Amino acid sequence: MKIDESTLVLGIETSCDETAAALVMGGSDVISSVVSSQIEIHADFGGVVPEIASRAHLEALNPVVARAVVEAGIDDSRIDAVACTVGPGLIGALLVGVSAAKALSLAWDVPFIGVNHLEAHLYSAFLEDPTLEFPMVVLLVSGGHTMLIEMRGHGQYRMLGQTIDDAAGEAFDKVARFLDLGYPGGPAIDAAALHGDPDAVRFPRALTDDRDNLDFSFSGLKTAVMNYVRKHPDVASADVAASFQMAVVDVLVKKARRAAETVGAKGIVLGGGVAANSLLREEMLGACAAADIKGFLPSRAMCTDNAAMIAAAGWYRLASDGPTPLDVGAFPNLKLPLVDA
Amino acid sequence: MLILGIESATQQVGVSIGGHEGVIATFEVARGRRHAEILTPAIEFVCRQADVELGELGCVAVDVGPGLFTGMRVGLAAGKALAQALKIPMIGISSLDLLAFPCRHTDRVVVPAIDARKGEVFWAMYRQVPGGVQQVSAPAVGPVDELVADLLARSQDALCVGDGAERYREEILEGFHCEISGPVHPSPGALVQLAHARALREEWVRPGEIEPIYLRAPDAQINWAIRESRP
Ligand SMILES: [Zn+2]
Repeated sequence: MKIDESTLVLGIETSCDETAAALVMGGSDVISSVVSSQIEIHADFGGVVPEIASRAHLEALNPVVARAVVEAGIDDSRIDAVACTVGPGLIGALLVGVSAAKALSLAWDVPFIGVNHLEAHLYSAFLEDPTLEFPMVVLLVSGGHTMLIEMRGHGQYRMLGQTIDDAAGEAFDKVARFLDLGYPGGPAIDAAALHGDPDAVRFPRALTDDRDNLDFSFSGLKTAVMNYVRKHPDVASADVAASFQMAVVDVLVKKARRAAETVGAKGIVLGGGVAANSLLREEMLGACAAADIKGFLPSRAMCTDNAAMIAAAGWYRLASDGPTPLDVGAFPNLKLPLVDA
Repeated sequence: MLILGIESATQQVGVSIGGHEGVIATFEVARGRRHAEILTPAIEFVCRQADVELGELGCVAVDVGPGLFTGMRVGLAAGKALAQALKIPMIGISSLDLLAFPCRHTDRVVVPAIDARKGEVFWAMYRQVPGGVQQVSAPAVGPVDELVADLLARSQDALCVGDGAERYREEILEGFHCEISGPVHPSPGALVQLAHARALREEWVRPGEIEPIYLRAPDAQINWAIRESRP
């Protein structure tokens, strides 16, 4: 099969709490992208409940795929391949997407491509700016991940640093719940912080003393926030939210900049749900400008989980590795395929 | 009309194809839990060996549970996707119906019981009617004691089938004298047979209308309900 600019890939994503389908041509041209979010279903529980997520994916997936095809204004016989997240993620949720995607590929007699969700996040940037140059540093920050990755070329990744405890998004969720700001925590803190003073409380910036250490740690910060509030019950939540957010963003930006310096990156790209945070976006652009490198912020829709990035990564993987066998399952702990340092 | 039957609500994964000439091909694996890995190749295999093109299928039948949640969702997701892509209707049949159907020649009460984990079983009761079986007590989920209490209350000659009956053989026999034998897992062959009868009456639905039978709320909702009900 020839993989080229006109190859149309259907992407499917069900690894966490978004059911998504998208049609992308040639790995970069988004024809349609549909995301059905379960945020409201899980809000009562203050986090994603795996069994509830799996049930919701099963219900939502067919209509979401149908809508992606209708919005693209094509006949489904035009689809050349089906790409789907096989990991990492919630096992039950992943299996819904993988089972459906493999069945679609069988029914249409087109290749199936199992996609690594983390790799797909790296590709979300190319959907909006195909001219991005290597090497670049990607800061991937979400509810499940906090990592700094050097991208040397397509499929060429090196892990520069990652969280040793909580993911940044997890810290946002936990602190938001503690401050009673609502769920999901990212947007809630973002909004509350607008009315607060980021310098009100100086929270710790973990692992920032050693310039060579590009790992992250957010569990101590979360504890510091809780201790502070318990000691100062009258403090304004907005001030705590703003100071907490400042501490997280400070660390993320500092480390991303150091990472870019270390590898001589031409730019820094943001990805993952936390990349939608307005302070992080602002500070990252500022830091990149100061370092005279390109700072690329994908749109908020591309930062959060979507299927266009799955289809795009799938297109590259199909071109480089060919189709995935139909006896593949799901891999809840799938890692990014790394090249040797 | 050719019907593809997908059965994955218990430990077993099974695929059958059949129509008015009966079941023409079947693939079953009862060991291991790799439903998602096995299912698509199994469909491919059964079609190839029976010399059936997917495009010839007129309907996709699927076991809608109750059973192991993840396993049954694999079958439902694949079945719904196939039917959607092939633009054909679906027929959903309960796993308990599928277990009872092969026992349609006994005049005893047929009690399929499926292992629901956590010390519980899914069960229902059936009796013989011309050409098949009819449900006489609605599907339930609960500890084996409750199943035994149900059997005692009915106090009729009973035949218990299914992996739940096998697993709790001793507990059931201690509380109520009955026979435990027959099918351990729902069979995709029975699924195709039952679906064919319904297909003749055009009792099918669109893929979006297929509803899984869970019988049990997700753990978090159960915990939530308990928390909410506290003063
Ligand atoms: Zn993600």
